[in-house]
Amino acid sequence: MNKDKKWIAHWEKRKVLFIEECNSERNKFLRDIAHPKATQERVLKDIIKISKNSLYWKEQNYSSINDVNSFREVLPIMQYDDFIPMLDKEVQIKGAVLTCSPILRWLKTSGTTGVPKKVPYSLHWILNYRIPAMKAMWANYYIYHPEILDNPYATLDTQTVREDTNDYLQGVPYQAVSNRHPRLNVFDWNPPWFEAPWFNSNVPSTYDDKMYYRIRHLVGKKMHFISAINPSTLLAFRDHIEINKEKLVQEVANGTINGESFEEPNHLESQRLVNIFSKKEFTLVDIWPSLSLYSCWFSASAGLYQNSLQQVLGDVHKLPFMSCGTEGVVTIPIDNSIYSQPLAINQAFYEFVEEDVDLESKLKNGEKVQTLLFNEISAGKNYHLIMSQATGLFRLWTGDIYHVDRVVNGMPWIHFLHRVGVFHSFTGEKLTEFDVTSALKNSFSSVNKDLGLYLCGPKSGKLPSYAVVVETNDAHENISRKISEIVDQELMKINIEYESKRSSNRLSQIDVITVPENTILKYIESKRTTKNTNQYKYKPFQKNVDFLHELNLINN
Amino acid sequence: MINNKNPQLQIYKEVHKIHNEGVELALHSWLPVNADAAIFYFHGLQSHAGWLWEVGAQFASKNIAFFVLDRRGSGISGGTRNEIADAKTTLKDYSTTISYVRNLIGDEIPLSLFGHCLGGSFLAALMHHPLFTTHFDSAVFCSTWLGKLHRTLSINERAKLMNNDNKNMWDAELKATDFTDITQYTNFIEQDDLAIRTISQNSRKVLLDLESIYINGNSYKFETLPLAYISGKFDPIINLEDAHNAFSEYMSGIHTKISFPTNKHYLFFTNTRNNTVNWVSNFILSNQKRNYIAKVA
Repeated sequence: MNKDKKWIAHWEKRKVLFIEECNSERNKFLRDIAHPKATQERVLKDIIKISKNSLYWKEQNYSSINDVNSFREVLPIMQYDDFIPMLDKEVQIKGAVLTCSPILRWLKTSGTTGVPKKVPYSLHWILNYRIPAMKAMWANYYIYHPEILDNPYATLDTQTVREDTNDYLQGVPYQAVSNRHPRLNVFDWNPPWFEAPWFNSNVPSTYDDKMYYRIRHLVGKKMHFISAINPSTLLAFRDHIEINKEKLVQEVANGTINGESFEEPNHLESQRLVNIFSKKEFTLVDIWPSLSLYSCWFSASAGLYQNSLQQVLGDVHKLPFMSCGTEGVVTIPIDNSIYSQPLAINQAFYEFVEEDVDLESKLKNGEKVQTLLFNEISAGKNYHLIMSQATGLFRLWTGDIYHVDRVVNGMPWIHFLHRVGVFHSFTGEKLTEFDVTSALKNSFSSVNKDLGLYLCGPKSGKLPSYAVVVETNDAHENISRKISEIVDQELMKINIEYESKRSSNRLSQIDVITVPENTILKYIESKRTTKNTNQYKYKPFQKNVDFLHELNLINN
Repeated sequence: MINNKNPQLQIYKEVHKIHNEGVELALHSWLPVNADAAIFYFHGLQSHAGWLWEVGAQFASKNIAFFVLDRRGSGISGGTRNEIADAKTTLKDYSTTISYVRNLIGDEIPLSLFGHCLGGSFLAALMHHPLFTTHFDSAVFCSTWLGKLHRTLSINERAKLMNNDNKNMWDAELKATDFTDITQYTNFIEQDDLAIRTISQNSRKVLLDLESIYINGNSYKFETLPLAYISGKFDPIINLEDAHNAFSEYMSGIHTKISFPTNKHYLFFTNTRNNTVNWVSNFILSNQKRNYIAKVA
């Protein structure tokens, strides 16, 4: 069997089982949603079971913990940094420090201080939590769009990459959660397209080359679905077609990929592409008229991509990606709601604290913090999320704020709002990303302008101030002047400390500079590192205003 | 890839604290829910239980419980680092721990003793020691050169060693590249904070003592015990031909011998790891329970 046939044979063989596995996990999740309290108790029991014989639990004498009350009474709320000594010990002695499930891999993710975090990827967690969550989510895609599995080329999955790692922590692989290579056991992630030539481990690992591989293999095929985590990946995908259009036309005509012959020459498709590219603008639907679904995050700062996505994907149906971080899954979609999903009740034991509680100070002062359980939180309110996963990271204050949209049959439906502590403060105003996003949204909507991505940073000077660069459909100096005033007013309404500092002339008016659409998108793309492309995150809040200079350089 | 006779892949890694002769010893275990067999592993000079993070889980996925004692002074066990306690204490540590393991797994589970490199010398000494009375069912010696000091040092050199009480460090001069040719593992060996790279001069005297136990105690016969000698095709650290001869001489001429296609010393850090684990698993599982206790013939 030649290589091409092999991956298609794998696709054919896996398809039915994959659908069954995904549906089964979704059904389990739906059953668990129907009994949320019992599910939370079951998850907690499992977390206790897998950690109770660990060295740390024994040393700390946590043996009395056996239920929800004792768990919350005895264990402290922890931040990631509190776990570092135990994680370092785990790296060194390999096993049984925080969890009694073997750590097969360390997950690398960005840390707040610039030092990457290491999240334990334990066998137990992979089998019973992380992979089942992915399957439950894919079942949701399949239920709404069964065509995503109607042919081997139907789905482009950019959620997962398969790259050899060169990074190890004392011999144990250290890689991004999205890099699911190599498979760790028979239950590890194995979608039908696992061996597809644009997905397997032979795909180049550099970002540009990987994008081109995906495009070249799928152009001219009946692709229905593009799945991503970050919306920027979808936009970058379209940009890579733009950048490579001459090459693509030529290679489709020649049946080559990077000069190597791999399929029959396709002059008809090549000519079709020529016609598409002759237009001023093209969309992904022009390239793939069969496209019927895309998926990515839509909440928080990801929501700022909405207009750009509309431009490149038009009215293609969208479904959300689950809310999650490397540390664990928080929500799993079960329907076609875009902005709200049920708490992933069978993934972790969740606790909440109202957003206005200064958790950081309380924890620093060793104060006891009373948490709320999933059935004690209210619709319309924002909460800190404290999560215990079966990785050994118990009562982890995630630093994420979630908004409760509604409570349905005792189950909270929530969405990610913003990170805690991501704020700028010259004089105690603590301007948050959420404040600025809200002010920008209100202001742009009041003048009927589209709001795209933005970057915000603190600007020192005689009087300190903030500078914001914003993408919009009508960028102009006059608009910038006008919108600066409106945003300033909005911020004063939203943040009383900002208002006080502005009124007492300790802060200068915020400076909003409008730029044409895609300006920031391209700037961000230019900053991507070649590796861990799925890990790249767009952050509206910047530590300084270097971006002003850099954007000017790009514009020049 | 973890292969699977344990369909749910339920594996628990635990560290048991064993107290013996004033020191807390760390016994590491990788446990399936219902083990079909168990291995007790004797690590070599440099390594410790942490080196078995992949192998332990692999055996457990095949329903074989896997135990490794961090020898006194090694890994996370107590005791003086870079020092090997006297033969009596060292063997007592092992016999106490193996007895603990036997109690933990119960009488019905076959238990295999597995010695790697210098760990094989500890194992051979224990098997020849009258105080070791826990019954076991098979033994595997891997890349072991039994009696190495006796076979490579002259009588004068050995006598000098026996009278050497100084605690200056002796460097074993082990090179990571002799153990493996895979960068992941050479880097690990070089960076491993818990590895023992030197031992005191007087510790070498203990090694000589341990060798004497099985060299002079060869009235112990192991003909009825399932025994295996496994190694690479070539080994940069030990003289394989002499090592195998020594094994036949001190343990038993009746044994299974197999060599795996690698020219590096630490099979579990080479591409033969899966084959080695599979072979050892089959060897252990295919041998019936013997309730073997070494006895003077």
